[in-house]
Parts: sequence; structure tokens; C-alpha cells
Amino acid sequence: MNPTDFYTRRHWLQKAGAGLGGLGLASLLADEGLLGSNDPLAPKIAHFPGKAKSVIWLFINGGPSQVDTWDYKPELERMDGKELKGFDKNTGFFANAVGPLMKSPFEFTPRGECGKMVSSIFPKLGEHVDKMAFIHSGYTESNNHSPALFMMNSGLPRMGNPCVGSWVTYGLGSESRDLPAFVVMSDPLNRGLPKGSAANWGAGFLPSVYQGTWLKPKGDPIDNLNRPAHMNDAQQTRQLALLKKLNGGHLKTRPGDAELEARIKSFELAYRMQTAAPKAFDIEQEPEHVKKLYGIGEKRCDHVARQCLTARRMVERGVRFVQIYSGGMANQRSWDGHNDIQGNHSQFAGETDQPIAGLLTDLEQRGLLKDTLVIWGGEFGRLPLSQKAKKPGRDHNPHCFTTWMAGGGVKGGVSYGESDEIGHHAAVDKAHVNDIHATILHQLGFDHEKLTYTHNGRRFRLTDVGGNVIRPILA
Amino acid sequence: MSKVVTALLILSLSLPLLADKLPTDHAGRMKAGVALFQKTIRPALIDNCLKCHGDEKIRSGLDLSRRELLLEGGDTDDAINLKEPEKSYLLTLIRHKEEPEMPPKKSKLPDSLIADFQKWIALGAPYDKPLLEKKRAKPTEMQITASDRGFWSFRPLADFKPPAIQHPRIQNDLDRFTFAKLAEKNLAPNPPASDEARVRRAYLSVIGLPPTPAQLKSALSKPHPELIDELLASPHYGERWARHWLDAARFAESHGFEQDYDRKYAYHYRDFVIKALNSNMPWDQFIRWQLAGDEFAPDDPLAMMATGFLGAGVFPTQLTEKEFESARYDELDDMAATTGTAMLGLTIGCARCHDHKFDPIPVKDYYRFVSAFTTTIRSEIDIPLNSDSYRTSLEKWQRSNQSHKEALTAYENNPDTTKAFNKWLKRKAATNLSTSDWTTLGFIKTTSDQTSTILTLQPDGAILASGKAPAKETYTLSTKLGAHTIRFLRIEALTHSSMPGKGPGRASNGNFSLTDLKIFVSSPGKEIKTVTLASAQVTHEQNKTNLSAASSFDSDPNSTGWAVDAGGIGKDQAAVFRLSEPLVTGEKTTLELQLRFHTNTQHSLGRFRISISDRVSPPVQVGGGKNLKLEQALKVLLTGRLTEEHRKPLLQLFRQNDTHWNELNDTLQKSLNAKPKATTAKVQVTSEGFPPTKHHADGRGFPHFYPQTHFLSRGDPNQKKGVAQPGYLQVLMRNGKGENHWKEERPADWTRTSYRRRNLANWITDPENGAGHLLARVAVNRLWHHHFGQGIVATPNDFGLQGALPTHPDLLDFLAHKLITSGWNIKVLHREILLSATWLQSSELSAGKATIDPTNQFLWRFPSRRLEAEVIRDSILAASSQLDTTMFGPGTLDESHRRRSIYFMIKRSRLVPIMQVFDQPEPLVSQGSRPSTTIAPQALLFMNNPQVVQWARALAGQLDSSQPDKAIHELYLRTLTREPTAAELAESRAFFDSQSTSYSKNKNASQLALADLCQVMFSLNEFIYLP
Repeated sequence: MNPTDFYTRRHWLQKAGAGLGGLGLASLLADEGLLGSNDPLAPKIAHFPGKAKSVIWLFINGGPSQVDTWDYKPELERMDGKELKGFDKNTGFFANAVGPLMKSPFEFTPRGECGKMVSSIFPKLGEHVDKMAFIHSGYTESNNHSPALFMMNSGLPRMGNPCVGSWVTYGLGSESRDLPAFVVMSDPLNRGLPKGSAANWGAGFLPSVYQGTWLKPKGDPIDNLNRPAHMNDAQQTRQLALLKKLNGGHLKTRPGDAELEARIKSFELAYRMQTAAPKAFDIEQEPEHVKKLYGIGEKRCDHVARQCLTARRMVERGVRFVQIYSGGMANQRSWDGHNDIQGNHSQFAGETDQPIAGLLTDLEQRGLLKDTLVIWGGEFGRLPLSQKAKKPGRDHNPHCFTTWMAGGGVKGGVSYGESDEIGHHAAVDKAHVNDIHATILHQLGFDHEKLTYTHNGRRFRLTDVGGNVIRPILA
Repeated sequence: MSKVVTALLILSLSLPLLADKLPTDHAGRMKAGVALFQKTIRPALIDNCLKCHGDEKIRSGLDLSRRELLLEGGDTDDAINLKEPEKSYLLTLIRHKEEPEMPPKKSKLPDSLIADFQKWIALGAPYDKPLLEKKRAKPTEMQITASDRGFWSFRPLADFKPPAIQHPRIQNDLDRFTFAKLAEKNLAPNPPASDEARVRRAYLSVIGLPPTPAQLKSALSKPHPELIDELLASPHYGERWARHWLDAARFAESHGFEQDYDRKYAYHYRDFVIKALNSNMPWDQFIRWQLAGDEFAPDDPLAMMATGFLGAGVFPTQLTEKEFESARYDELDDMAATTGTAMLGLTIGCARCHDHKFDPIPVKDYYRFVSAFTTTIRSEIDIPLNSDSYRTSLEKWQRSNQSHKEALTAYENNPDTTKAFNKWLKRKAATNLSTSDWTTLGFIKTTSDQTSTILTLQPDGAILASGKAPAKETYTLSTKLGAHTIRFLRIEALTHSSMPGKGPGRASNGNFSLTDLKIFVSSPGKEIKTVTLASAQVTHEQNKTNLSAASSFDSDPNSTGWAVDAGGIGKDQAAVFRLSEPLVTGEKTTLELQLRFHTNTQHSLGRFRISISDRVSPPVQVGGGKNLKLEQALKVLLTGRLTEEHRKPLLQLFRQNDTHWNELNDTLQKSLNAKPKATTAKVQVTSEGFPPTKHHADGRGFPHFYPQTHFLSRGDPNQKKGVAQPGYLQVLMRNGKGENHWKEERPADWTRTSYRRRNLANWITDPENGAGHLLARVAVNRLWHHHFGQGIVATPNDFGLQGALPTHPDLLDFLAHKLITSGWNIKVLHREILLSATWLQSSELSAGKATIDPTNQFLWRFPSRRLEAEVIRDSILAASSQLDTTMFGPGTLDESHRRRSIYFMIKRSRLVPIMQVFDQPEPLVSQGSRPSTTIAPQALLFMNNPQVVQWARALAGQLDSSQPDKAIHELYLRTLTREPTAAELAESRAFFDSQSTSYSKNKNASQLALADLCQVMFSLNEFIYLP
């Protein structure tokens, strides 16, 4: 360790404690001579070799209904129209609009070799069930969007805790020098951000460098990537050359100050990013057949198709964690089908079915799927009862949801856990949100109990005091 | 496929059942195990573990004193695993594989001993006999022991004397401590920094702005202490140092969560912090006001604003019924946890679900601490701002008004005036006898049956109604009018500017409706008589039927009566009622009128006057009434002796005609109208008894608070364990003092708040018996942290057992003691630090010294480090003369604004990118120190950010591009506080020239080139590092 490089490094060691200290804070970039050992984004080695290098999380925002998507419930068909005795009216959000049990308006048919029963809203995704591991017994701690979103993203139903992407970036650093390590894409059709907005990709008490970078849906996706308009490349290059010279003179009076050296190098890196990042976002460089595969140009799904293709280009370039939110904020502008569950889910499935299917195909064809963990899931599930409306909808259900994972060392064509016979409660092998997080971390090479950060006297972890890796779905 | 999964799980569930048999060689193993226990394990347990795990304490629920208790394990986990000894938690901890490393704050046990422990557990962990003979019940609660109280940060302050060390460089006592430590480590302090570096460092450290070239010149010519005093007196000092405290206070201006509603009036708290620091408010008062300013100084706006501290945390405004109570407990936790970390450096919040794992804070202490905030909520209230300018102008007004008053009184009391009055009485008064047919009644009593209405008699005999107009009301008026004959009664309905459409009614359209008019007469000893009315005439009435004057005395007392709409609004009106027969009154007759307004909502009279007439046909008109008292007095004047009562109306009449009196009186009236009014401001406070700040969840009936705080099991509101009464941390209550020691009784007339927070504040600031000594240590350490980059305690928010130990414990106590004895004077501490040789050292590196102390914890050099986000942005603005120095008031999210960065609005869902990229923390929980990262997006910001480019151009615009060398000189002074070296000048000039050439097609090529150079200066390491 460089004697002068104390502040930042000491800070890190203190904060990371045994959490990362045990990992030796291996800084591959330091060896390459880039930003030095205090680069918070230098790639680090996890606790053990993980199966996955990166994550693409398709966040099914608003709470997808399990019984209308992947959790086939024949018993619910039989009980259609009956009252559910003993139902707690405060389970969902609207206590005064509780209707009777309601069967799915969609038809389910067996798909793939595993014969998984899949709703008719996913014609294309149904082709990929043999890649997916379904978790049917998920449950969470809040019946309200933003706390449930925080729970799903940060492990606690409160504000102020780092989200999964931040933990992963903190633990693994970034493989990409040209792109942010953790990017988030939200609805590009002006339907808003997910409820709780930026806190869903916030770093909480972790240094802000680990927060997700929100790609602006319009205009330049990242701030400050473009050279000032009045300047050409030669002019900016001359600026950087002068900067380097003057900084070099300053450094001479402080020989060996690693932090100052790193900052000098950060301008070289920035210059490279400025050239490379816009290229990474430029999906027009993709061949037509690839665009078509994702559904680009198709009216109903073009916007998600572009995001999914961007996601692939990101992980290809070493981005660690990508989150795409399907749908926006307000009711009905997302999967939050309080009214007309049939229309709502048909619409949003239509927006995502081909793009996500295209993504899975593309990742597999390029050999990226094996080390990219793809996650599909929202913040909670929906009730098997109807919510009274002109066209019936479904209210929130924290007791049961379905999520699936694919790639990244997860088995295909398996289902873990079960909901009860009508899909109201998780019943067999219940999977808490902490368990899902523990599993994600495990696939990336972390013991979730050891990935910790000390803050205000306490060692925090993503899984708080819980979490069990869902091993049966692991390959 | 799912069947496979299920089958696997069933298998794993059944495993433990198979394994519960005793091994065959049980007896032999036990014998070996006991021998090992006696030889090494037993002494090791007694020496290293028993004190905290069985004897004085039962930490984490683990008691090692008896084997069966050991087997029970602790709160976290089983201590030992007999089936798989290697997995024993005890072994993990003594091997230092996980935290908490055991034994704590001691070196690791020898490997051979750890191997013995492993062997012993493998042998079944037998005991020969308990480690303690006495049998004791396992205590259910954590006990606070003498050794807990002996932990360094909980101990009382020691009044350390500075070491008696000689060194020519020593400036003050602080240096005696640091230099002694350096000497002890065989280290020598660095030489002093250059004068330019010293001045730049002082400016950036104290006010967060670089000096201008003129300021540099002036600073170089004065002694260092003078410079420091000047900077500490600058209003920019508060703006710089408030930001540090705002990190600790997790300050933001929105609720967070789903809607992230703005807290529009939260900025007053930020302004409070700035003002408190600038006025050098004693630190204990600073703390007290933040906890209970509303209880200590409710009339001081600043004290009310200070309470913003408690309410600055996040709150979910969208809640379902199931979340109400837990959301409130979360909110209470935020208040308690932030108070703990920010003020005491204690992680009180860690004891919410269980006794604190490391610090002596039982879960009971947590809930008792929390209960101080039980009824505390966020409110937005109007507060009169007793600003300095208001106070000054009020005092000025009071002085001038007093002189006007005195002038008038002096004139009235002047013997000449009295002479003139008497002369007037004799010669002229009688000419004032009125010829009017109407005599205006004065009244003894004027009331409404609705309390919101106030009826006031006016000088012209009219009665004005003010206050909120009730839906319906009845006025009662009574008088003794003396001997009179009454044939007619007149009601004048008069306009006034205070009423809608000037009235005369109080209804929203200016109308009224006199539903019923009743007249009673009574004399002592006689029955009350009702006077009946015969007919009515009017100047105007709304119609001839239900809204006519005649309908005011018809048989319907509830829905019909005189009204004046349809042409009569905004004008004076009169109704004249003829009595059925003339009424003759005597000296003792009381006349009572009841005016009932029930026809329509708020249709009562706003201004009106009652007159009587004894004529047979008095005119139906407005005005012209005689003043009854004056008339009587004038009659007496002609016929008999004037009493004092008679002289009063006469004097009034005399004055009305006295020009000089009128001049004086007019001046006084004008002055009274010009009394300065205090402006009020809407302020977010955190108090009790005010209406709660409204939000989304109100729609579902969120109660904002629950009247009691309960002890909760595992932090769960569904598992209540009795009511928690306010109390404090036992480990910080000393000398046998309990809660009552800090309890103040509320004054009898004070009911709005509970005084619970005031009592808490008393405890937290009491260095003798309470937590004040720790409060002082934490405050000193924060100051040190910001001056030297790391605290004497490297964990400013954790002074507990998990926190770092102080590098200079004696110095910390010395400074804490100095803080308290100076009356909690923070600037005294700043001075001590900023005048010390320790601070004045150069930041130069030395490989030799770094080998001894690589992290510079003993301060052999001044630690150079990157400036914070705010200082970087403010420096760019200041260097380019773009800084708008307007202080205080609402902030903004506009990134192009030019005020100091502390005036950015902090909206939790829209944090400002330029602040975030340079590590401004998210305002969610208390932050004691910021990380300092070096990442490419920071470089991109300097290269491409539109604001940076704009400010670079603004700076270039102030330099003379026709004299490049001079401009470069000036640029170096403005940005780096020094002259360029010859080499730098040459490099910069060469850049300027080639850049100018490259822009030659542009009209302003040299300006563009100079702007590009300015931008390079902003990007320099030297610009953003403390020298």
C-alpha cells in the first residue's frame, strides 16, 4: 500500500471490515495501473467463483398477478364466483372493493419439454420455459407499492438501504471501464418512474458511487457524455494535454500520491468513456435480424425491445447489473391491474413478451446466458379475488407471488415452492424476499451473510438477519 | 421436476432425527474432555470470557458458567455444535473468522489454546464443575455494570493537563498533546506551510471559498490569528460548517417514499443551523433547541425552526391501515436513532429488536428513550418573525409614537387649553344644540349570542360587528336613556370597508336580514314590558313582502325580515319603526333591543346605529342624529351645574373644533396606523399539539401518533409488552441520578407540549450526571474530523464498543473539557485548532515518516485531501465572480443557480447530480463522514458539464484576453491563490495561443481560448485539493 494513499483506503477497509477485507480487496485495475487501489469500482474477487457475472432484472412493475401468468390454478376455476370465507379485507389496498374469487381470464397450456402450464399472454416467452426456474412461493412484507418495491430492491420495506445492484457493484466492482456498473431503465412512454422513484436504485448508506445510473429515456442517456458544442476533438484533446502537464507538475511536489495520480488517469478514462459509451447505447448498429428478434419496429413492444437489446449490449460490455422497469407509476400505467386485469395484463404482457423472449434467445446464441442471471418479477403478487370494477381487476397480494430466473447457473424447467390451491398464500417451501436476494448473491459468488458494510456502528447486509439460498433451483 | 425438489427437501428435514445416539466410547471421551477442561479450558474461560458471559453480565444471552447453559447457546446462535464441532460459533469467533471477534479488545488466543477448544468440543465439551459456584437465575434483562460505565467514552471527562513538552514550534496546548505523541513515536512535525498555502487552506477550511487576489494580499499582511478571527466572523463560515451538521442530521426537504412530497417549509431548519453557527450559539443550546426549542423558547422563531431536526427523516405518505402503527414506530426510531448517532455517537437504534449486541444499551432503554418523542409530530405553522429589522423598526416606531402621544397629552393638560375650554363653554357651547329630530342612543351593553362576533361602539354612535360572522345570531343592546318620550325608533344600516361589498350586512354579498326586532322596557320593581310596533318606513327594502321592514316585526321570527339587496347594497340605509303607542321613560328605565338574524346564513348587520324620536313625523333618512349625552350636557350647561360626566361630551365637542388639537390628534392617529407589522413565515416544526402536516395517508385516517409508546418484542408493533415511560440510557446516568433528576414541571399555563423532549434535552446536555460529557466529546471529534480529515475517533458516528478508539484520548478530553468550561463555545475550539502548529504544518509527504505512521494518525503533516462537492462548486463560482451571496430562504433544484451549494433544495427523489458525483451522501440516515472517491464521471463533469463551461466563460470574460500573460497571472491568483511558475506560464500561454489559432474562424477566438484555459484550471487537482 502506498503510504500516502491513506484516507480513502483506510476508509474502505474500516467500512468493509471483514466483509470485503476478507476478499483482499483485489483490485485488478490497480494492476493495470488505472485508477489505483482506491478506485471503488475496480473489479474485485467475490467469496467464491460465481456462476453469473452479470444480472438483468426485468422488474414487472406494479405487481404481476401470479394466477394469470405462471402459476396455474385449476382449483380457482372451480371456485370462480365464490366468496372467500375469512378473508382479511385489509390484505390489499382497497378494503371496500373486495369481490369474490375469480378465475384467470386467460387460457393456460403446457409449454416446452417440461410441460409448464403458461398463460396465453406469453406466447413467445412460453417457448423459453425450459430455461426458467420458477419460484411460486414468494412472499413479501408490504401490501403497498413503494415499501414493497424497496423490500424487493433493498431487502427492507423502508427507505435508506442499498439496493441489490448497489451491493453487487460494491462487492464485485465493474468490468466495464466505459459504462456505469449498474444501470436502470424506466418506462420510455411517459408513464412515470416506479413508485419511490430513484430510491429503488439508490446506494443507501453505501457511497453514492454505487447507486444505479438511470438512463434517461429521452435525449442523452447519461450526463456529461458529450463534448461541449463549441469544441472539436483536437481542441478538447489539447485541453486534456495541458491538464495532464499541469497536474504532473503539481504531482512532482507530492511524489507518489496515488490519489492524485488516479485522478490524472481518470481524465484519460473519461475521454475513452465519452467515445465508447454512446456507441454502446447505439442499437442502430445491430443487424436487422437481431432488431427483429427483439420486436423493434413492432408498435406494441418497440420501446421494451430497445431496452432489452440495450441490456444485452450492456452486459456484453461488462456492465454488472441492469434493471428494466416494465410500466410506469400510476395504477393501470403499470402491471397494477386494479381494474380490468384482463386488459391490463394483456397490454403489458404484449409490451414485454417478444422483447424478453428475444433477449433470452439472443443471450443464449451468443453464449452470454450462462453467465448472465435473468430475473423476471415484481414487488408483490395479486389476489385471486376480483376487485370490484366495471371490468374486474385484482388487488395487491403480499402473501404470494411468482418470480422466475434464467441463465447464470440456474436450472431450467424447474419450479420451486407452491402457493395454496387458489394462489392466495405461499404454501410449500415459502421463499422470503431475503431468500431470493441470497440466491442472487450466491450466483454472483457471494455468501450473503458475509457481504457486509459497517455503517453507524452496525454491520449491514442485504439480507438483514434472514436469507437462505434456494439451492434446489441451482444447476 | 417440482417433485424432485420436494423430495430433496423432505430428505433434509428428516436428517436430524437419525443422529441422536451416544457414541460407543462415550465414557473415555468424557474423561479426556474433563482432563482437558481442567488443564486449559477452564482457566481460559475464567480469564477471558466469564466476566461478560456468566459472571457480571450475560452478553448476547450467552452464559458459560455451567455446561447446560453453554449448550443453550446465546441469542444469535448455538455457541457450540456437538455434532459438527468445526461449525461451532464459539470457534468461529475465537478464530476471528467473523465479528464480533472474541475475546473483544484483546489479542487473539494462542493457536494451541484454540486447538484445545476444538478438541474439547469434539469430546462433548464436558465440565468437571460449574465455573461459578453460586446458582443464579439467568437475568432476563441486560444489566449495566461498573465496567460498562468504565468504557472510555462513557467515563466522565478527565481534566488532563497538557504534557510538559518543549518545542520551539509549539503554539498552544493542543500542540503540546500532538507534539508529545509525535515525540513518543519518534516523529517530527513537518515544517510550516507556505503563507499562500496557509491562507488558501484557512479560507477553504473556514468559509469554504478560495480567497480573491485582493483578499490574499490583505491576508498576507496581517497576523495569522487576526485572519482566523476575521474568517470565523464571516457569514460564510456558517454556510460552510452548517453543511457538515446537515449530513449528521440527515437533512432533506421532502418526505421520500412513494410521492416524495416536498416539505416546502423545511429550509428554515437549514437556515437555523447557519444562523446558530454564525452567532456562535453555545453548543449545548444548539442541541437543546433541536430537541425541544419549542419548549425552551417558544417565542423565539429560531428555536421553533431548530425543531426541524427531529422531523427531517423520511416518512411514507402512502400507507395502508396495516402499516399505520409500524410506520409510526419507524418514524420514532428515526428520531431516536438520529439523536443517538448525531449527538452522542451512539447507535441507540441497534437496540430496537434486542439488547444492543455490543454497547450497554438494553432494549428497555431504547423504548424509554423513544417514548420522549411519543406525541411529537411534524407541523407547518405560521411564526411571526421577530427579525432584527422588525425589532429595530418597532423600537423606532415606539419612540416616535410615544412622542406624539406625549405632545397631545401635554397640549390637553396645558392650563391655557383648559382656560380656552372654559371660555368656550361660556360663550360658544350653547350654539351647538342640535335641531335634529333624531337622537342617537348610546348603549351600556352590546353583545351577540355567538362568541365569534365582537360588537364595538364607534365615535359616531354606530356599532361595528367584527370577527368571523356566524351562520345565525342575535344582538342584544341595552341602555338607560333617562326621561324621554319615544314615538319612533330608527335603525340605520351603515356601510363599512370591512364588509363584503362594504355591507351594510355581513353576508357574502353584503346583505343582511333583520328577521326579528324586539323592544323591552323595565324599571326596578316593575314587570318587563314588550313594546309593540305598528308600522315601518324605509329608505330601501328588498321587497314589500318577506324581506320588507314590516316583516321584521311580523309573527314569523325565523325566516322573514328587512333586507336591502336589489339596489341597496353598498349604501347606507334606514328603517323607521313607529311604536304602537308613545313610550315615556324615566331616569331608571332600561331599554333593551333584540335584533335577530336568522333568515339566511351570515345575514347579520355589520354596522348600524339606533336612534329615537319624539316627533310626530320624523324624517325617514340616514344621518342627523343628536348625541344624547351631549344634548343632555348642553341642557345642563344652560340650566344648572356641570358634573364631570357632563363635561366629557362637551370637551369632545370642543376638541373637534380645536385646530391645534386636531393636528396633534391626526399625527397620533397616522402614527398608530403606521405601526410596523411583524411578518410571519410558514415554518415546518417538530412539536406537539399543533395540527399535523397533512398528507396522503390522512385520507385513510392515519392518526399521526399514538398516545403511548409500548415496549415491543423484536420491534414488532403486534407484540406489545407494556407502556414505556420516558427514560434515558442507564449507562449515561451517573452519581445515582435517575430520570427525575432532569425532570422539569410544566408551568401551570403550559399545556400544548409534554416537556418530555425538554427533559431529554436536559439530560443530554448535562455533563455532570447525564450525557453531556459524551455530547462534548462527540462535538469536539466532529470538528477535528472536518479540520484534519479524520477524527481523533475515526468513527464520528460511533463512540461505542464497535467504534474506533481515540488516537489522542487525553487531547480529546482536554478539548471537550475546554468546550464545556468555555460555555460550549465552538469558535474557541476552532481557534485552538486553526492557530496550532499542528494545523499550520505543510502537507508535504515524507517517505521516512510514512514508514512509521503510514496513515498520519499522529499528524506529522497536514492531511491534504479532496474538497467536498459543495466547496468544489462554490469555488468555481467564486473564482469566476459568479457567486450570488444571498443567504437563506427556499432552495432550488436548478443546477444553474449561482448561490452557494447549501441552497440546493434537497429532494430525496431528485438529488442533485453534481453534488452526488462528488460524494454528497443520500440524506436518509445520519452520516458522520463522507467517502472521497475518484471516478471517471467526475472528470466527465469537468470536461463537458454545461454549467462548468458556462462558468469558465464567465471567468474568461473578466480577464483581458488581449494581454494573455497578465490574464494568466490573474487566473492563477483567482483559482489557485498563487502566481504561476515560469514553466506554468509558458505552458498556459502556449495552450492559449494554439487554442486561439484553432478558433480563428470565430469572432471571439481569444475569449474562447481563455475560457478553455479557465476550464482546465477548474479541473486541476490543485484546485480541488486542500493544500
